[in-house]
Amino acid sequence: MFDLILSQAVNGLVLGFLYVLIAVGLSVIFGMLGIVNFAHGAFFAIGAYLALMLNRDFGWGAALLAPLLTGLIGMLVEFVLIRRLYGKEPLLGLILTFALALFFEAILRLVFGAAPLPFNPPRFLAGFVEYGPVLITKYRIVVLAVTVFALVAFWSFLEYTPFGRIIRAGSRDAEMVGLLGINLPIVLSSVFGIGCLLAGLAGMLSGPLWTVNPSMAAGAIMPAFVIVTIGGLGSYAGAIIAGVLVGVVTAMTIQFYPDWSSAAMYVLMAVILLVRPRGLFGEKWERFE
Amino acid sequence: MSSNSLRHLTKINRRTLIGGAGGFALAHAAASKLGMPYIGSAAAADPIRIGMIYAKTGAVADQAEYMAQGSLLALETRNNTLLGRQAEVIWLDEPTSQAAQQNAERLVGEHNVVGIVGGSLSSSALAISAVAKKAKIPFVAANAGAIDLTGRLCNKYTFRLQPPADVHTRVLAPYCAGLGKKWYLLTAAFAFGQDIKRSFTEFSAANGITLVGADEVPVNTADYSSFILKIRAAKPDVVVGGVPGNDISTFLKQWNELGMKGKIPFAEIAVGATDLWGVGPEAADGLFTINWYHKNPNNPPEEQMMAATYEKKYKRPAADKTWMGWMAMNALLDSVETAKATEPGAIVDALENWGVQRGGVKAGYRAFDHQMVNRLLVVGIKPKITDKWDYFDILAETPSNDAEIEKVFGAQAQSACKMDTL
Repeated sequence: MFDLILSQAVNGLVLGFLYVLIAVGLSVIFGMLGIVNFAHGAFFAIGAYLALMLNRDFGWGAALLAPLLTGLIGMLVEFVLIRRLYGKEPLLGLILTFALALFFEAILRLVFGAAPLPFNPPRFLAGFVEYGPVLITKYRIVVLAVTVFALVAFWSFLEYTPFGRIIRAGSRDAEMVGLLGINLPIVLSSVFGIGCLLAGLAGMLSGPLWTVNPSMAAGAIMPAFVIVTIGGLGSYAGAIIAGVLVGVVTAMTIQFYPDWSSAAMYVLMAVILLVRPRGLFGEKWERFE
Repeated sequence: MSSNSLRHLTKINRRTLIGGAGGFALAHAAASKLGMPYIGSAAAADPIRIGMIYAKTGAVADQAEYMAQGSLLALETRNNTLLGRQAEVIWLDEPTSQAAQQNAERLVGEHNVVGIVGGSLSSSALAISAVAKKAKIPFVAANAGAIDLTGRLCNKYTFRLQPPADVHTRVLAPYCAGLGKKWYLLTAAFAFGQDIKRSFTEFSAANGITLVGADEVPVNTADYSSFILKIRAAKPDVVVGGVPGNDISTFLKQWNELGMKGKIPFAEIAVGATDLWGVGPEAADGLFTINWYHKNPNNPPEEQMMAATYEKKYKRPAADKTWMGWMAMNALLDSVETAKATEPGAIVDALENWGVQRGGVKAGYRAFDHQMVNRLLVVGIKPKITDKWDYFDILAETPSNDAEIEKVFGAQAQSACKMDTL
């Protein structure tokens, strides 16, 4: 039994990190821009479709451009639509991003059709590694490594670069940053683009694991929202810990109470919110109070 | 009004015009795909309307697209006319069973349809069936497989094309038993999945099969790896699946990724060809029952013609779901023509007597439960897939003649249906 638990725990950890990658972009966009981005799952799907198309036509090297392109699409969306919502009623953001999610799904269906498209891990990453009871595929090891690298790189960017400091300052007091002569709209566009880039990266990595179809956003967006809520809205560390928690709890529930597997993360969220309504690492932010 | 304000007005108007036009174009493109009613032909005065309820979003949207196209093709080949009058199809969505029920009510109350075709999922079909019964409108369920639809919850106005789970099980289970006596069931937690679980559990109990595991998985599960690890640890001889639509594509991709393809046989009833096309040749694996296959040389000439017309129009082969949508709509349209009226009772009578010869079997709806009897295909994945649209080897066609129908579909005495009257 211990073998099975260990095996499921490791698998849950990998799954959790994939969820983290989806959730971090959502958390960053909320934390910096104050927008609850219901369209985040759509950018995840766009990333998967772009990776699929680039891989099919030019190979895996080109597919690596998919997150970047997703980020650029995100910046365009921010420039055209999202920036009109800053400082407005939060409900407007919910409605607009929800409409965007439906719109992008419809566009994907229109362009690529409703049927799932075949997309598998690259051949050089086929196979798995067995260590005692633990089985993990080579592709999932790469997913884990890329996710950890992306999270560390983004955290370092925010902590140690001048632009990262501007972003963090802007998230706390946008008006003050503007008064200092910094071009805040460009900063905010970049933040939205980075959030979408992370969603696109998650989409690119998930495409070979999950089914690539226009509705694939639904499978990503709900765990992402649960993770952001558990971790605390806008908290980077909270999203990481919550993602791992959700992954491991889901895997363990599948092992022992499979009928409850879809409900497990929601029960976890309810329990944590009962104990700590702001989530694990949620802070009191003046601008949202 | 000052010149400044006029300039301002002009500026705003131009922007508004451009923005509004762009917004309208985008909204129109989105709305046409997001649940706004689709009207399949130009409306003349007082056209005959046929309701169609197929998913436009969600896990079965791709299957539903093929079914809808098949259904539309059935009307188009009649030049969009019925009884010498203009006919049109009104297509509404089924995002949930509750929405399917509301849309069925809309079709009846607002659009005055003479019949409804559709129901991509069993839960939706059961909801539409309740409306059909209440409103006394013929309903032909194309894809739903839940036993209750033509069993305990049957009614005079509901007809079903897809064989229920127990029929598929009778066809596929002997093949599974031939692969081994230890089975693992992985079924979706909704009506059809639960029927599959029940049917295979009953078969295993009656045939000395041991179930080494049985998990119910939520619909739209994105990651099956934890379930696959459980299956791997249980070491079954066969895994019997019962997951719908895109979920089977996801499962088989991860089954292959975790190195299980070819190690433990996988079997599932009532799959769609599109589900396997979405898996890709590398990961496709398994033994399945399917209703129709475009590469089957035994398809009747009219079905071959339908497949050719479909491929010419949509630039892709007709899937089994295309045939199901086409067949369900044809049954309804034929029955309207036979009834020579749009009166529901007459259409129901005509549907009960409707039939087409398919090989050695006369396909049609049984009067005592309105279940279509037809032949099923048992198919396996080709050892080497060279055509992206041709994944299956046909292993059997069952039943192959009318005498075998009762053995596969069950007798009236076995049916839970207590058919009501018009």
